[in-house]
Amino acid sequence: MTTSTITRPAGLHEFERTTSRWGRITMVAGLLLSLAGPLYIALFMDLGITLAHVITAYLAVATTFLVFAIVEPITYFPILGPAAMYQAFMIGNIANKLLPAAICAQGRIDAKPGTKQGDLAAVMGICGAAIVHLTSLLVFVGILGTWLLSAIPESVTEVARLYILPSIVGAVLVQAIASVKQLRPTLISLAVAVVVVFVVVPAVPALTYFGTALGVVATAVISWFARPRG
Amino acid sequence: MSSTFAAAAANGASTDIGAVANSPILWVFALGVFAVIFVQTLIYMKAARTAGSTVGLERKDLNRALRSGAISSIGPSLAVVLVAIALLALFGTPAVLVRIGLIGSVQTEVASATIASAALGADLGGPDYTQQVFAVALIAMSLSGGAWMLATLILTPLMKRGGNKLSEVNPAVMALIPGAALLGAFSTLVVSELPKSALGALTILVSTIVMAALLLLAKKLNAGWLKEWALGIAISVALVFAYFAHTATTA
Repeated sequence: MTTSTITRPAGLHEFERTTSRWGRITMVAGLLLSLAGPLYIALFMDLGITLAHVITAYLAVATTFLVFAIVEPITYFPILGPAAMYQAFMIGNIANKLLPAAICAQGRIDAKPGTKQGDLAAVMGICGAAIVHLTSLLVFVGILGTWLLSAIPESVTEVARLYILPSIVGAVLVQAIASVKQLRPTLISLAVAVVVVFVVVPAVPALTYFGTALGVVATAVISWFARPRG
Repeated sequence: MSSTFAAAAANGASTDIGAVANSPILWVFALGVFAVIFVQTLIYMKAARTAGSTVGLERKDLNRALRSGAISSIGPSLAVVLVAIALLALFGTPAVLVRIGLIGSVQTEVASATIASAALGADLGGPDYTQQVFAVALIAMSLSGGAWMLATLILTPLMKRGGNKLSEVNPAVMALIPGAALLGAFSTLVVSELPKSALGALTILVSTIVMAALLLLAKKLNAGWLKEWALGIAISVALVFAYFAHTATTA
């Protein structure tokens, strides 16, 4: 073990204080800004939008996603740690971009997930990802987007949409296995995933949106009880 | 331009989505979200650099971590960009930037917009997809995405307290759980993609094999830079494979 979770160096304490204070402040600001635009349209653009419209539409969406909005932060907390939570849920695209970046950063400097070094590496990795992502969005979507829309063949964007997740998750699983370097939890996670996807979810379709959460919790719990004890 | 904009904006039944969706006020708030994330990134980088030395991480290590995160996200970012461009006609640039590029993901946001439009009796992108429907869908997407942020704001401090308590009681738990949780998440993501389509499953296989080969090679050659580029290469190879296989089977 390269880390001690009980003794906390003062510098790390400061890091936690800064990130939880500023993480919260920036996230509240981001939340308000993301709501302000749509609210302005509804109130001042005279599109005939009523409160009934908004309630009807939001309730329909919330029925599908509200539970997910609560389950997902819980699912990713043990992986991201408190500091990166405020980054991840504002920058978005967590499973297909931010977690891969965090795992890659940890792997590059040989810091295991869950250690203090791992947490700092993850935060730096996500910062790097944020810089690249903000820049590429601004340039390729914000500035060049309309032109690219006419220049890129539809077959390319369609393949990107259909196969983006498959092309990322396989590679990231390999990266995760190489970075965690623990055979037993690896085998347990694969067995759990097969059971969740092919047995549990088909048997109880209501659990469809909880697949990942189930996989995370079951793998963590079983790995804990099956750990080698000396 | 501004006169057509005003005329169109006053008519909720118009299907000229762009007139509302690309309005300057939406741009201002969208760029505001960018600015907030940028500021957050700077604060976090500075905080991590200050804390690094106290846990035995040199500045060189932290810069490597930053660069790795940046390089490894080129592939995923460009993939997101491609999909975002395809959705510009439906939502306009500012909404695509904020909802799909940031905060949410393609899958949830498109699903939310579809559900919201359907609740108003319209098809997303169909002949009855009016400015009014777009605006209501955007509000519903934003409220729904906001729920994720609100849950993060409320739950993170609670879980942090729980985690700290757990690590005091039993330090071994915290050495095991994050790694196991990570493996659990990606194993489930991989396995749940498998039954969706045969070509999707093959694409996963390609990306898995390329990544494994690159990591072995990086270890053999002791080439750290290869670890940074591995994800981008794996994604590119897998997407190129999917493109040719997809066009071959649908042609």
